[in-house]
Amino acid sequence: MAIRSDQGIVLRGYPFGESHRVVVLLSPNHGKLRTVAKGVRKTKSRFGGRLEPMTHVDIVLYEGKELDTVTQVSVINGFPNIRNDLDRVLAAGTMIEVVDAVIQEDDPSLRMFLLLQRGLSVLDDAQPHPALVTAFLLKAADIVGVAPAFDTCSGCGRTDNLRRFNFAAGGSVCEECRSPGSYSLRAGVVEYLASVAAADITDLPNTDESMSKEALGITKRFMEYHLERQLKTLAVPNV
Amino acid sequence: MFEPPIQRLIDELARLPGVGRKSAQRIAFHLLNAEQADAQRLADAISEMRSSVRLCNRCYNVTADQECSICSDLRRDTTVVCVVERAQDIPVLERTQSFRGRYHVLGGAVNPIAGIHEENLRIKELVDRVELEGIKEVIAATNPTLEGDTTAMMISRRLKPLGVTVTRLASGLPVGGDLDYADEVTLGRALTGRQEL
Ligand SMILES: [Zn+2]
Ligand SMILES: [Zn+2]
Repeated sequence: MAIRSDQGIVLRGYPFGESHRVVVLLSPNHGKLRTVAKGVRKTKSRFGGRLEPMTHVDIVLYEGKELDTVTQVSVINGFPNIRNDLDRVLAAGTMIEVVDAVIQEDDPSLRMFLLLQRGLSVLDDAQPHPALVTAFLLKAADIVGVAPAFDTCSGCGRTDNLRRFNFAAGGSVCEECRSPGSYSLRAGVVEYLASVAAADITDLPNTDESMSKEALGITKRFMEYHLERQLKTLAVPNV
Repeated sequence: MFEPPIQRLIDELARLPGVGRKSAQRIAFHLLNAEQADAQRLADAISEMRSSVRLCNRCYNVTADQECSICSDLRRDTTVVCVVERAQDIPVLERTQSFRGRYHVLGGAVNPIAGIHEENLRIKELVDRVELEGIKEVIAATNPTLEGDTTAMMISRRLKPLGVTVTRLASGLPVGGDLDYADEVTLGRALTGRQEL
């Protein structure tokens, strides 16, 4: 048995035994880590708030047969402003859920870790931009290799008249290539999504509310198609 | 494996929180050697608890009547309601002897990842109570966890338009503890929620 140190962003936790908690973290080096924090559900626990979801921590682990035990925790960033604001906490919840769904244990993805860290930092700094969650989902899709194509038809490669979106084809399709199950999108949505996908998450393009809702809705459905599961944290009207 | 009737009891006992296989066996054999009447009293207590306890019509606390003893206590302040996640949080708050209002049991905290949304909790029922009972202050006493904090913010967002004051239990340092044992999250909250002397 050995002791090792690592860092990670806490994704979630669940009760384990009488007073312990299993804490799932995203480590930059080891993908998802499933660890056990002993006694943290007692009010007197020293670890207290350090292992709550959405906290970036340095940890020392004692390697166990099944789960590693957390022996020390220090907070790198607790993103305190997220926790005090309902809209931010809900947006952060979606980021966490997506990362949790696409990254496996022992499946290191430094890019996904950095994306989550930046996403949470942006949320902590200011009220979320209406396109922030959309941008986060598109960038996460890109990291796992399923980024939708926006500027060319996924069927024939043409670059104009892209008014439909097909999940199986992998993005926009033109009128000729549309197949059953293609969604019809309002003019401008594909262009808007393309500009969101290309932008930095600190500098997202603005649009009106219904356009950003439609963009988020289609992105959500696209992610759900690829994840083969529903995104439970994201309440947007389906398009 | 023991004889089937004994094994069945051991299996049931081992499913209880905090009871391992070893303890389950010890309890089972203790009951086997006990007087028939002693074992029967335990069995009766369990089945009576299950058949007579229901939820309070007003606050969803556990009770044997239509309303729990707190809701039916005429000396309690009916304008203040303390919102808790679970019924077992009520005796904990009662022991402080610092609260003289009524309660409201939500039945959990929002945890979207686990599929627990606002509509799965008794938030609608709370809104109805605020509208009907002349409640002036709602204290969100959900756990100081991410889920509990999020739930408290949702309650606040629902109730504020009704003109009711919504407060949150202060997070702070354990009384009798040393400052250097507190984690930075708790200490940070204690600083934000500091009070003038
Ligand atoms: Zn085409
Ligand atoms: Zn009651």
